[in-house]
Amino acid sequence: MNNEQFNNRNVSENAYYLVDIEDYPTDGWGKFKRVLKRTFRGELFVGLWVVLREMIKFDIHTIQYPQEKMPIGPRYRAVHEMKRLWESGTERCIGCGLCEKICISDCIRMDTKIDENSRKEVSEYSINLGRCIFCGYCAEVCPELAITHGGRYENGSEQREHFVMYEDMLTPIDQLKAGNQLEFDGFGAITPHEDERVKKTPLAY
Amino acid sequence: MDKMINFTIDGISVEAKKGESILTVARKNDIYIPTMCYISKTTPCASCRMCVVEAKDVEGFVLSCNTPPTEGIEITTNSAELENERTNIMKLYDVNHPLECGVCDKSGECDLQNKTLEFGVSQQNFSAREQHRKIENWGLINYDPTLCIMCEKCVHVCNEVIGDDAIDVKFGGYSSTIIPKNNDTLDCTYCGECIAVCPVGALVSSNFQYSANAWELTRVPATCAHCSGGCSLEYETRHLGINGGDSILRVKNNFEYTSLCGAGRFGFDFSNNVLNKDEAAFRKAVEAVKNAKAIRFSSMITNEEAHILELLKDKLDIKLFNEDARKFKEFMSAYSSVSAKKHHSGSLDAVKQCDAAVVIGSRIATDNPALRYALTTASKHNGAKILYAHPVEDALMQNTVTQFIKYEVGTEEGVIALFANAILKDLDLSEDERAFFDELDLGYLEAETNVGDDELALMIKSFNRAAKRVLIVGNDLISHERSSNIAKLAAMIEKYTDFSIIIVPNEVNTLGVSLICNLDKDEEISNVVGYNAKGDFVISSLAGADLAVPALNQQEGTFVSIDNKVLPTNVALSFKGYTLNDIAAAHGIVKETTVDYTKELNTEAGFKNIDFDSLENFLSAHGDDVRGYLLDEVECESNGKLESVSELPEFNGTVIYHSNPVLQFNAYTNITKQLEKDTSLRGSAQFAAAAKISDGDEVEISFGKRSINRKFKLDSELKGTIALNPTFDDVSDASRYKFEKSKIVRVIHE
Repeated sequence: MNNEQFNNRNVSENAYYLVDIEDYPTDGWGKFKRVLKRTFRGELFVGLWVVLREMIKFDIHTIQYPQEKMPIGPRYRAVHEMKRLWESGTERCIGCGLCEKICISDCIRMDTKIDENSRKEVSEYSINLGRCIFCGYCAEVCPELAITHGGRYENGSEQREHFVMYEDMLTPIDQLKAGNQLEFDGFGAITPHEDERVKKTPLAY
Repeated sequence: MDKMINFTIDGISVEAKKGESILTVARKNDIYIPTMCYISKTTPCASCRMCVVEAKDVEGFVLSCNTPPTEGIEITTNSAELENERTNIMKLYDVNHPLECGVCDKSGECDLQNKTLEFGVSQQNFSAREQHRKIENWGLINYDPTLCIMCEKCVHVCNEVIGDDAIDVKFGGYSSTIIPKNNDTLDCTYCGECIAVCPVGALVSSNFQYSANAWELTRVPATCAHCSGGCSLEYETRHLGINGGDSILRVKNNFEYTSLCGAGRFGFDFSNNVLNKDEAAFRKAVEAVKNAKAIRFSSMITNEEAHILELLKDKLDIKLFNEDARKFKEFMSAYSSVSAKKHHSGSLDAVKQCDAAVVIGSRIATDNPALRYALTTASKHNGAKILYAHPVEDALMQNTVTQFIKYEVGTEEGVIALFANAILKDLDLSEDERAFFDELDLGYLEAETNVGDDELALMIKSFNRAAKRVLIVGNDLISHERSSNIAKLAAMIEKYTDFSIIIVPNEVNTLGVSLICNLDKDEEISNVVGYNAKGDFVISSLAGADLAVPALNQQEGTFVSIDNKVLPTNVALSFKGYTLNDIAAAHGIVKETTVDYTKELNTEAGFKNIDFDSLENFLSAHGDDVRGYLLDEVECESNGKLESVSELPEFNGTVIYHSNPVLQFNAYTNITKQLEKDTSLRGSAQFAAAAKISDGDEVEISFGKRSINRKFKLDSELKGTIALNPTFDDVSDASRYKFEKSKIVRVIHE
């Protein structure tokens, strides 16, 4: 991959240009002329006309937030989601602790233990959203694609310290079964056509 | 002086002592040779073959770990061929190694991970059919054979250093595994040393497994607070749970050079958790100390606390009771009166290097595991002769001990007199001393102690050839009624021979307390404040105290270990309540912190005026112990006179030996979560028959006025007519002579 376009950090060489703006008046006479111009040009009526025109067209695009919401891009970084495995429905998180380690605002904390099958089990997991800066490092470092950011961007609350429990973030099992768990391509994700690329172990047994 | 062997490694001229391998010399000179299975404290396993080097004019590769250099040889540690060889070895190690670094406990401190990255193993050209291997649960230890790389470090350590010899390699090529030796499940003393040395996550602590990653833990260097061995360890702490405070998750040690027993490794959760400062209790405590006639305390305190108690004694004119340290002090002063030195001469290192050792009057494997490991090391590495003299045989020592002398209970004075007589026979003693030995009625002593002529002759025969000899004096001699004469006899051996002598202190800081405090004989008086001991007002770090004070893993301070070293320990967990220093401050003995007293410790006893903060607490990369400092040697007046051996007492009837089971020492080990708490009375079939009890019976044991109820457990490893009674759950008097006549009655529940 060619990284040259990213490595060239001299921004002035590229597509920057000066905006053509009239110079501001500096003397009294000039300023007086500007006032007169702005007062008697009737710009207000231009605006009012636009509103009136759109009103009588009856084609209104206003979104009635919070009753209505805009669809949000899948790469938007809002409140985290914990994913499940498609095949078994079990949680993907293996409790490696990398998200906890990489978190630069120190808002992730987890507790793990050994379960009855001698496997590592995440017994507690929480993200302090009051501290989270939604940088996305946790999602990026996760080796299992278990934690991602979701689209739930509203987290107004009376409390500054707003914890999110693991259960709230985990894909509900019925949503998984309905095939509604959002998956991501790109870095860390399963490469498309992965099955075709699998090779045999070099030596035969 | 041994002749040095001169040779070169990578063009650098180095010299080796006899017996050193190329690898040890390279390491000493900071030349890097990668290894996977090498561990400094054992003989080379030679299983990894990573340490290969090239020698000029020698065909093929040479294993540097077990090859001694020859004069003038030229060694190369790095070449393209060597690199290729090592990379291939790493590739083989990685065959089918589960890619579970994400969850593995060892991730971040894993030798295999490090070396795989170091050699850049990015692809695999070897393969083998994967096989199903079951994860084993061995109590405190879990074993995952799929992660095991068969370096055999655990087996070597268990056999050569610990002496349990409990695990073995099951050979079978690719399906080799580690298995419990001669058993279905692991039957050992659970020192956990195998966990420590395991370079991968195959052997792990079952309590710790999957609870934290290596990089999350804060390491606090400290000194073990359970026995006088003074082992170095690191408490590793981290928050527990989402909102939890700090707690100790595990203990690690510098396994390359030192060892740690299970009590140190698994018995770390004895801290005293106090939520806030209890002002009312504090005021009562200050008042109680002010009005007290005496303070009774245990030796499980730091030197600084002992010093504060001594200052309180002077200021308030009260008495200090600590029978354990007082008896030790008396023993040592009698000892010094003959040897003319305040401290004993031996150390654990001396034991490790010795080629002959006598252990007398101690069940050493449970009293002081550090000494047991040192004896095992000496026995396995130097072929040392170990003589173990005690009325009760110890199955744990049977792999180590070469000669067992069984003497009668209570006749310790006679035994040491016989030993001294045999050892000092042909030496040039002063007139008085020679007269003492001439007067000895050897026939009477041998008959009463049950130590035969031939046994003594065998001892002398095997000891005469030894160059480095050690005498280890246990607690039965210190707590003995005739301890001062016993001490003088032991000191005679020190004075006239090259024996180094170790007197084993009973508790973690018995030695320190005996050097710092002026102790009074304990009396049954009222108005006694107990400091970690019983009293009318109890200030203690154990549950049920009138005022809570920090436990030894919540304090900074120093201990004096069996090596006569002043060792620092640090705060692993914070303590929110009051300390002894606060009580002293309320009485006008004001210092900001307890460790401000470290530099004021008694210099007449050998302490140095060194600030606590300038004491180091680590082992260097070459294994040099730079923890704390060694006590200065103090010259004493040599005016002790040997008294003639008194009539030896007889212990007939049912005799109980107060001895703790493995890994249990005191009330603190008793409250830990992981250590086994077997409070049963253990005895042989012979004992059961004599006392008319059988396995599983509940019995009442009475000694004089006191009595205690125990469950009787038949122990097939015990012999003879003495039963072992644990004391860790019933700490009435740690200083008593451990053999006691008793009456045993079976309790019948109606």
